[in-house]
Amino acid sequence: MLFPTIDFAIFFCLVFLGHWLLNPRPLPWELFMIAASYVFYAWWDWHFVWLLAGVSALAQVGGLAVAKQRDPPRRRIVMAVAVAATLAPLAFFKYYGFFAVNATNGLSRLGIHAGPPLIQVILPVGVSFFSFMAVSYIVDIQRGDTKPASWIDLFLYLSLFPHLVAGPIVRPNELIPQLDVRRDPRHVDVGAASWLIFGGLFKKVVVSSFLASAIVDPVFGDPARHGAVETLFAIWGYAVVIYADFSGYTDIAIGVAKLLGFTFPQNFDRPYSARSLQDFWRRWHMTLSRWLRDYLYIPLGGSKKGQLRTYLNIFVTMVLGGLWHGAAWTFVFWGALHGVGQVTGAYRRTRRAQRGLPEPAETPARIWGQRIVTFHLVCLGWVFFRADSLSTAFSLLGRLVTGWTAPIALVNPLVVGTIALMLALQYAPHFTADRIVDRIAGLRPIAMGATFAMALFIITSLGPQGVAPFIYFQF
Amino acid sequence: MTTPKTSRDHPASAKGPERPAQRGRPTMPAGRVFVVMLVCLLLWAFLFAPTMKRAAEASPDGSRRSASLAILRPFVAISDGLQITKLTDAVEQALGRDPDEAPGGELVVPPEPIPSQPGGGGDHGGGGDVHTRGPIRKPTRTNKLRVAVIGDSLASGLGVYMERVLRSSLVRVSRQGRISTGLARPDYFDWPAALSEIVDNFQPDLIVVMLGENDNQALRNAAGDEETSVGTFDWPRAYAERVENFMRLATSKGARVVWAGLPIVSDRGRWGIVERQNDVFESAAEAVDDVAYLDTWSMFAAPDGGYTAYHRDGGTVELVRESDGLHFNATGYELLARAVLETAQLEFELTPRVVAD
Repeated sequence: MLFPTIDFAIFFCLVFLGHWLLNPRPLPWELFMIAASYVFYAWWDWHFVWLLAGVSALAQVGGLAVAKQRDPPRRRIVMAVAVAATLAPLAFFKYYGFFAVNATNGLSRLGIHAGPPLIQVILPVGVSFFSFMAVSYIVDIQRGDTKPASWIDLFLYLSLFPHLVAGPIVRPNELIPQLDVRRDPRHVDVGAASWLIFGGLFKKVVVSSFLASAIVDPVFGDPARHGAVETLFAIWGYAVVIYADFSGYTDIAIGVAKLLGFTFPQNFDRPYSARSLQDFWRRWHMTLSRWLRDYLYIPLGGSKKGQLRTYLNIFVTMVLGGLWHGAAWTFVFWGALHGVGQVTGAYRRTRRAQRGLPEPAETPARIWGQRIVTFHLVCLGWVFFRADSLSTAFSLLGRLVTGWTAPIALVNPLVVGTIALMLALQYAPHFTADRIVDRIAGLRPIAMGATFAMALFIITSLGPQGVAPFIYFQF
Repeated sequence: MTTPKTSRDHPASAKGPERPAQRGRPTMPAGRVFVVMLVCLLLWAFLFAPTMKRAAEASPDGSRRSASLAILRPFVAISDGLQITKLTDAVEQALGRDPDEAPGGELVVPPEPIPSQPGGGGDHGGGGDVHTRGPIRKPTRTNKLRVAVIGDSLASGLGVYMERVLRSSLVRVSRQGRISTGLARPDYFDWPAALSEIVDNFQPDLIVVMLGENDNQALRNAAGDEETSVGTFDWPRAYAERVENFMRLATSKGARVVWAGLPIVSDRGRWGIVERQNDVFESAAEAVDDVAYLDTWSMFAAPDGGYTAYHRDGGTVELVRESDGLHFNATGYELLARAVLETAQLEFELTPRVVAD
C-alpha cells in the first residue's frame, strides 16, 4: 500500500481508531497492530506475507539461541549462523538472478554451456529493510545491547507498517521498548506529525514527480538526444528527485508513527549541505549509514587494524552498501565511487595529522567550495545510481563535454526554480520549520482539518494522476 | 558511511531518536486528531471528487470501478450543488489543464516542416509478404525519414529504444506512447483521433504500433457508453473492426505500418486472451495494405513455448523482462526495436543505413 493513496488514507483512519481504542489493552493492541501491518504488506502481494513472517521467526529463533549461549566464542558462532539464515532469503530474492546470469555467461565464455536455472525471482517489497532490522536484533543480543523480546514484540518490531517497506531502519532498543509502554492518548504531537506528512507528500507527489517527468526521465532515457546543459540539469534534477522521493517517504513514515505515539529516528539531515562524502553519509539515509557502520564496518575491524586495513574496510563497506541497493554493476560502481571518495578523504586527513599541519581556516570560500565539490561528487555517483547500465552512465557523462550546442528546451524556469529552491532549502535553519509547526499545533480541530484539506487539495492538484512507487521500494 | 576512530560507541552518524516535541507546543488528544483527519478527508473529498470521478470513469471495468463511482457520485452531486466543481475546474485551468480533457490526456502534434523536394512514397510494386506500394523512401539529411511510435506503455518503452537504434541524422522519431491506453476505451484516450493528428501533422513514413494489453474489457465509445461487452461473441468481431479501421487510418496518407503483436506474458491464465488478440492483429495486417505484423510472442517465448524472462543469444543470456511478467527492461526494448527495424527492412526495404551500429 502506497502512502499517497486513498487506500492508505482509509486504512490509516481505521488503524488510528483501533490503535488508540485498544491502547490500554497490550495484548489485543499488539495483535491488532500486527494484523494491520500484515494487511498493509499484503496489499502489494499477499504471497510474501509468509516471507515477512518467516524472517521474523528466523530472527526470533536465532536471537533466543544466541541468548542461551554463555560461552562468548560459541555465542559468536551461533550469532553468525543465525545472521546467515536470516539473510539467506534476502540473498536469494535479491541476488539470485544477477548470479545466475553472470555465472551462465561466465561459464559460456569458458566453453561450458550450462549454469544455474534461469528463473526470474521477484523481489518482495521491503525485504532488505526488515532483513537488516532482523540482523540488528540478533547481533545486538549477541553484543548484550538488547535482550530477547517476546515473540509478539519481535513480530511487531519487524512488521510495524510505518517503517516496513522503506525504513527508517529502526534498531531494537529504539522501538521494542516503545511497544511495551502505554502511549499517552492525551498528547498526540499533531503539529510535527502533520508537518512531516504534508511536507513528505509535497516532496514526493509534486517535486519528485514533476522533475522526474520534466527533465530527468527524458534525459536519462536517451542521453544522446540531449545536450550538455539539459544533461547537467537532469543530473542536478535527479539529485533533487531522489532526495525528495526518499526523504518524502521517510518524513511520511515518521509522521504517521508520531500520530500513533511512536518516535522513529531521523533519516535525513539536509544532505546536500554536506562538506565531505563522510559528512554526506552522516546526513543521507542516516539509519542505513549507522547500520553499515555498526554491523559491517566495525565487524570488519573498523579503524583498529591499521591504516591500510581501515581504508580497505571503508571501501568494502561502501561497495557492499552499493550492492545492497540492487544487483547490478551500476550500484557496485556507485558504491565503489563513494568508497574511493571516502578513502581519499580519510587519507588526506591522516596525512595532514601525520605532518602536524594545522586545520585550514574556516573561511566562507573554503566552506562553500567543499559543499559544491561534495555535492557534485554525490551527483556523479547518482548518474551511475540512476542509469540503466554503465554504458548509459558514461554516455550521459560524455554529453557533458560534447553537447554544448544542443537545444535546451527542457531547461525551463520552472525546472531551474524547483531545483534551486530544493537545494536552497538544504540550508534553511531548523527554527523555520519549528515556527510553522507551532502555528499548526495551535489551530482548533475544525480549522486544522480544513487547513489540511486545502493543503491536500493543492498537493493532489499539482501532482500527476496516479503516483509512481517510491524509488527505495525496489531496494 | 562514517569512519569512527574507535568502536561502536563513536558518535552516531544518525542522531538516534528524533527530537521530542518541543516543550510548550500544544498537543491534541487522539480523539480530536481523529476528528481532524475526518474533517480533512471529507473536505478534500468534496474538493477533489470531480477529478476522482473522471479518473474512476476512465479506469478498467470491474468491481473497484463500480464501487469508486458509487461512492463518488454523492460527493460530486454535493460539490456541484455547492459550486465547488466550478472552483476546482478553475484551479485545473489555472494549472494549464483542460478539466474536460479525456483522462488519458490529449495528444498535440505540431505541424512538421516537410521539405518540398520529391521523396514521398516509393514506387508501387512488390516487397515481401505484405501488400505494399513498394519500398519506403530513402531519407536524406534534409528530408529525414519520419517514424512515429504509438501505443500503450509497451510502445512508450519501445519508442525510446527505437530512437536509440536509429541514426538521428537520417531519422526523426516521434514517440507517442501513452500508458494505460488502447482501442477499447476512447473515453480514456482516443487513439483514432490522436492518430489522425499524427498522420496529418507529422506525416510519418513509418508508424510502429504496439498496443492491446489494456483492451481486454468492454468496448466503449468516446462518450464512455458501452458498445460491446467483454466475453461476448460480438467482442472479437467488434475489436477486429476497430483494429482494421485503425490500420486503414494509419496507412491512409501513405505511411507503412509495423504492428508489433503482444509478447508472451508470465500469467498463463491470460495466454488465451493475448493469443486471440494477436490473431486479430495478424489477420487485420493481412487484410490491410502496407501493414506488416511482427510476432513478438514467439520472439520472447522459451524454446519449450513457455514464458521466460531471459533471452539467449548464442551462449550469452540476458534478462529482458521486468518482474511484472509483461513489460521489458532496457535490453528487451532494444531487442524489440531492432526486430521492428528488421521487419521494416524486410517488408518495406527500409535502408539499413538508418540503423545505428
